[in-house]
Amino acid sequence: MNRYLYDGTADGLLSAIAWIIEEEPDPERVALAEREDTLFEEGFFISTDAIQAESLFFRLRRRAPDAAHTLYSFMMAEKEGMAGSLLHYISLAFTHGDKINGYLTHPDVRDIVSIAKKAGRELHRMKGLLRFEKLLDGAYLAKMGPDYNIIQPLAYHFCSRLRAQNWFLYDIKRYTAARWSNGALQFGSIEQFTTPALSEDEKKVQALWQTFFKTIAIPDRKNPRLQKSNMPVKYWKYLTEKQG
Amino acid sequence: MDALAKLQILSGAARYDASCASSGSKRDASTSGTGNTSQSGICHSWSDDGRCISLLKILLSNDCRYDCAYCVNRSSSLVERASFTAREVVDLTLEFYRRNYIEGLFLSSAVMQSPDCTMERMVRVVETLRTEEQFGGYIHLKIIPGCSSELVRKAGLYADRISVNIELPSQISLQRLAPQKNKDAILEPMALIGREINSSLVERKASRNAPRFAPAGQSTQMIIGASPENDFQILRLSQGLYKKMNLKRVYYSAYVPVSDDNRLPVLSAPPLLREHRLYQADWLLRFYGFSAEEILSDDAPNLDETFDPKTAWALRHPEFFPVEINRADYATLLRVPGIGVTSAKRIIAARRFSAVTPEGMKKIGVVMKRAKYFITGSGRTFEKPDRTPALLRQQLLLGEGSLIVPSRQLVLPGLFL
Repeated sequence: MNRYLYDGTADGLLSAIAWIIEEEPDPERVALAEREDTLFEEGFFISTDAIQAESLFFRLRRRAPDAAHTLYSFMMAEKEGMAGSLLHYISLAFTHGDKINGYLTHPDVRDIVSIAKKAGRELHRMKGLLRFEKLLDGAYLAKMGPDYNIIQPLAYHFCSRLRAQNWFLYDIKRYTAARWSNGALQFGSIEQFTTPALSEDEKKVQALWQTFFKTIAIPDRKNPRLQKSNMPVKYWKYLTEKQG
Repeated sequence: MDALAKLQILSGAARYDASCASSGSKRDASTSGTGNTSQSGICHSWSDDGRCISLLKILLSNDCRYDCAYCVNRSSSLVERASFTAREVVDLTLEFYRRNYIEGLFLSSAVMQSPDCTMERMVRVVETLRTEEQFGGYIHLKIIPGCSSELVRKAGLYADRISVNIELPSQISLQRLAPQKNKDAILEPMALIGREINSSLVERKASRNAPRFAPAGQSTQMIIGASPENDFQILRLSQGLYKKMNLKRVYYSAYVPVSDDNRLPVLSAPPLLREHRLYQADWLLRFYGFSAEEILSDDAPNLDETFDPKTAWALRHPEFFPVEINRADYATLLRVPGIGVTSAKRIIAARRFSAVTPEGMKKIGVVMKRAKYFITGSGRTFEKPDRTPALLRQQLLLGEGSLIVPSRQLVLPGLFL
């Protein structure tokens, strides 16, 4: 069985997969892993080629749009040690097309699809659970600490939804930020973060929301277990309604 | 009265409306305004009762002329009264939306001077949101029965979803508990909305620029446990509403005792299990190809509290089982207890590659707790065969690992004439 290595980056992973699918007759029987640079490491190193990586993604999107979407969500999870599974998944997707996501009895397909699903679920959840605060200069800021790296698609969601206001997203776990300002979106990283001053009326609006949150619940139907299963406690830290 | 005090009164008064859906409508944001809608809908929070919050759910006013026995806002009730101005509702909606607290607005109201006057004020709020503020978020608007059809039409042009509450499952109960309301005044706008939605869909096929009318459809709500109708009556009513009025959803709301009016039953707690079973049966009507007559009958007119309606149906129909998972079609798979829409689709997708085994069922994520008694995989049974219905009932119960929940609904005999 041939063994291949890549440099550990996302581009490296996809370009290695592109190379193997092109050159190997049976990608299912090939192993792929991240290079660790140990003395006796075995395997053929495939160098990173961003253009190859991108072209693989576009070809997959033409052949199997759902699988390309799964790949995109899977990459948000930044999971390590799954290069082999991903290789097999993509190679199968080129063979079977979008039907592949139904092949859940295949262990590699199941692993990739289930991780992609988890990441996709958190993205959808954060579209609802993200909370903005209005700053003194009139812009809005939202902090979050998601399990998966979802800032890009999340920012695209708010670009169309809240296009009339300037806003920031900040991922405190990854020190990354997105900024929407006067109709342009930028991504970057922030090492040292201090929360800017809030606008004067912000606390008033937050108090209104907290009041609404309390009174909208029917006291006779109190059900904290259901609440927690729908909205896990790990998200409460940044929820305006769960403060104060 | 300041906005906070009003919000407290008017959201507390609106919480008995069950609907909080924000799905079924896809609208892109305008270039200068705020807000869009998402086809799948987005939940923004979950309140202490575990229900999702996606819309700012409020009444425009709780100052009601009517005296419906089951309602917290009835005119004889001693609650504090308040009314929002249109501007207050618009500002609240926008401030909340800009902070991503909500997906949009759910606006209902008590009946103030007259249905027309109330409805007109409600329509003015959404008109301001849509035209002046160019708000593109989700709007659910209640229709006040008895208002003019002109106002209903206007409401449908601004809102994503509109709804008329049917309140109680029969005309007799309506007469008893809500004497100022009547069936015709409720069903008439429902039928009108159904027609308008259909003709708007036809027009939009011809031209993409034709105006949309309530693109997320219409829904309704009825109160469960405040009147003596049985589940069979309720389900047949829902079935009729889905088939004849083309409704998107019927919501069931367990009656929460808010009044000691002697026309109402005495409940120790809201009939939540009954509400849950009705929702399960409602799903069977909408997504599983069941009819109300298959689920219940005149001889057994109430849903089983121990088993979900599909398991109860399966226990009555042993001749239908076992179902062979590698050959059964989608509709047949859906009839297996424990196999839902997702599982049925997954089984069909997976067996294209190879026959599905018992282990395979677990791998693709089908919950086997109940299903295993009703299926075979390539001819093999999953559980020992030849079980009598009585034994099967017992197995299913013990397998659930939980005790039988006793009925929480206390109905005093003789209360309902």
